[in-house]
Amino acid sequence: MLTHPTARWGSGGQGHSRGLYLLCWFLGTILVAFLVAPLMALALSQSGQSLAGVARMGDVRDAIALSLEGAFLSAALSALAGVPLAYGLARTTFPGKGVVAALVDLPLAVPHTVAGIALLMVLGRQGVLGAPLQALVGLKFWGTLAGIVAAMLFVSAPYTVNAARIGFEAVDPRLEKIARTLGLGPWRTFAQITLPLARRSIMTGVTLTYARSISEFGAVVILAYYPMTAPVKIYELFLRFGLDQAAGASVLLLVVSLVLFLLLRAVSHGGPSRESR
Amino acid sequence: MSDGIAVETLTLTLGTFRLQNLNLAVSSGEILVILGPNGAGKSVTLETIAGFHRPDSGRVLIDGHDVTGLAPERRNVAFVVQNFGLFPHLTVAQNIVIARRSNVKGAKTDKPSSLPRNDAGLLAYLGLSRLMQCWPEDLSPGEQQRVALARALASSPDLFLFDEPFAALDNQIRDQLREELRSFLRTLSTPAIFVTHDHADATVLADRIAVLRDGAIVQAGPAKDVYARPANSFVARFVGFENILGARVVGAAGEIATIAIGDRKLYASVPTDTATMGDTVRLAIRGEQVILGPPRSGNFPSPAVNRLDGRITSLRSQNPLVTVGIDCGFPLRGYLLAPQTRMMNIEVGRSIGVEIAVDAVHVMPN
Repeated sequence: MLTHPTARWGSGGQGHSRGLYLLCWFLGTILVAFLVAPLMALALSQSGQSLAGVARMGDVRDAIALSLEGAFLSAALSALAGVPLAYGLARTTFPGKGVVAALVDLPLAVPHTVAGIALLMVLGRQGVLGAPLQALVGLKFWGTLAGIVAAMLFVSAPYTVNAARIGFEAVDPRLEKIARTLGLGPWRTFAQITLPLARRSIMTGVTLTYARSISEFGAVVILAYYPMTAPVKIYELFLRFGLDQAAGASVLLLVVSLVLFLLLRAVSHGGPSRESR
Repeated sequence: MSDGIAVETLTLTLGTFRLQNLNLAVSSGEILVILGPNGAGKSVTLETIAGFHRPDSGRVLIDGHDVTGLAPERRNVAFVVQNFGLFPHLTVAQNIVIARRSNVKGAKTDKPSSLPRNDAGLLAYLGLSRLMQCWPEDLSPGEQQRVALARALASSPDLFLFDEPFAALDNQIRDQLREELRSFLRTLSTPAIFVTHDHADATVLADRIAVLRDGAIVQAGPAKDVYARPANSFVARFVGFENILGARVVGAAGEIATIAIGDRKLYASVPTDTATMGDTVRLAIRGEQVILGPPRSGNFPSPAVNRLDGRITSLRSQNPLVTVGIDCGFPLRGYLLAPQTRMMNIEVGRSIGVEIAVDAVHVMPN
């Protein structure tokens, strides 16, 4: 994304703003270093052999696979329900719209252990939703994949909704109107014009939801300690065996999720046709 | 109703805005320009004709069929907006293919037209063949307009709607695209409605003009009538009259009225017996009808030409035209060409002679 002219810091010839650019560069570098250093230190602490050893541990592999599976379901559900909500928020006005938008953001402000407790009260064995769902369709959230997905979705769905909403808001409504006059019905207009134009934003949101879901610990650990997702497994290893064991599994999870994240980014930002700006 | 489009007693409430009892008619091959300031309801009117707002009452007829209850995609209307609205994620060819109507009943394919019927022919006709695989953002404004027109044509519309397509362009390109659009529309028999706040658009394009203000039509009629005889000072200003003056009728005889502005008098031609002694009125005089020459002495109004003396108060140069502000008992603006100002030794403070033909003084109710 460094192709936009304003993104080329320092290469501009505007003498009056050079001091500003230097300051931005300086502070920005410190922050990036702060973000990267711990991960680098963690990654470098492990030899290839010890990584291979961790990778052979069945329970660690299972935990990572479960994390990926849960995060995939969480991201898919967030897209399924979040994209329509985002379109509604972007294209319609109704009383209380601001409240709805704030409610969507609410999980971002709730500590994740609190979110886990709250979910447990609703989805647990005696919960207002948990009890009837288990009685009627046998869907159980306590200590199941469904519980893991519910916890992940709760804390990460706002990323999809917000990014998709921004994407839809950036689509000129007049393009939709033109499509209608050209003979496309409302559904075809959405599928052929609006959705492709908002696609990059939506994919960014879904990718963030996916990444946030993989990394979720607090809500998951309360709603579903078992079966163990990777972050829970790492926590358990840390408590039982100490830093070394936990660090090995951590690096493995880090590598897997980084590779997936980069892959998703490449998929969502590439594509055969160019995007609107 | 035969061919063409008609809007009948259309009323629409949209929040605090209201379209009031709108009546419009455009025949085949005609271009109607709706002129009005921002917020007058021009775009809302177009969008209602296109089917995006359901009117409280009234009807929209296209070729005699009542389409008031139809969704936009069933109306067979082409819509061109500011910056032309090409789909940025589709190539030129894809932009045009998407408009092929496959599911619309009543889409006319038998419309007499000299234009090619297939996409490739259409693109060749508009000089777009080599741009088929281009992205809209890589096109010049002129090319974008032609793609938008090709796309509109591909949908075989019964009506063209233009919502200020040139509003974001600079003057030079605007002039050029306006001419192109006019010659394009002239080759078709499809009626068109063009909405703008720029009367230069109307000058070039309009067969008929409707002036809109606060959701109601102030004046509508053939373009030359609205241009020559605006109904009031709002319309006069909007169709480009530079001089609008408060005055009083002091003499009326048949088709000539004597009008006093301060202590000066002008003769104006009016429709027979419409001017009444003592009426306060407004005068509209186009800058191009204010003929400037060497100074004369005194004020000698004659039944054919008003001759006045004045003093130059301001000069504003916008090559090649110079706008000359004159005080001749009342403020007046006229034009000279830059070389003329040098030949005539025009400077602020000097005296100047003014001639205004009697039929160039248009009298409006106050």
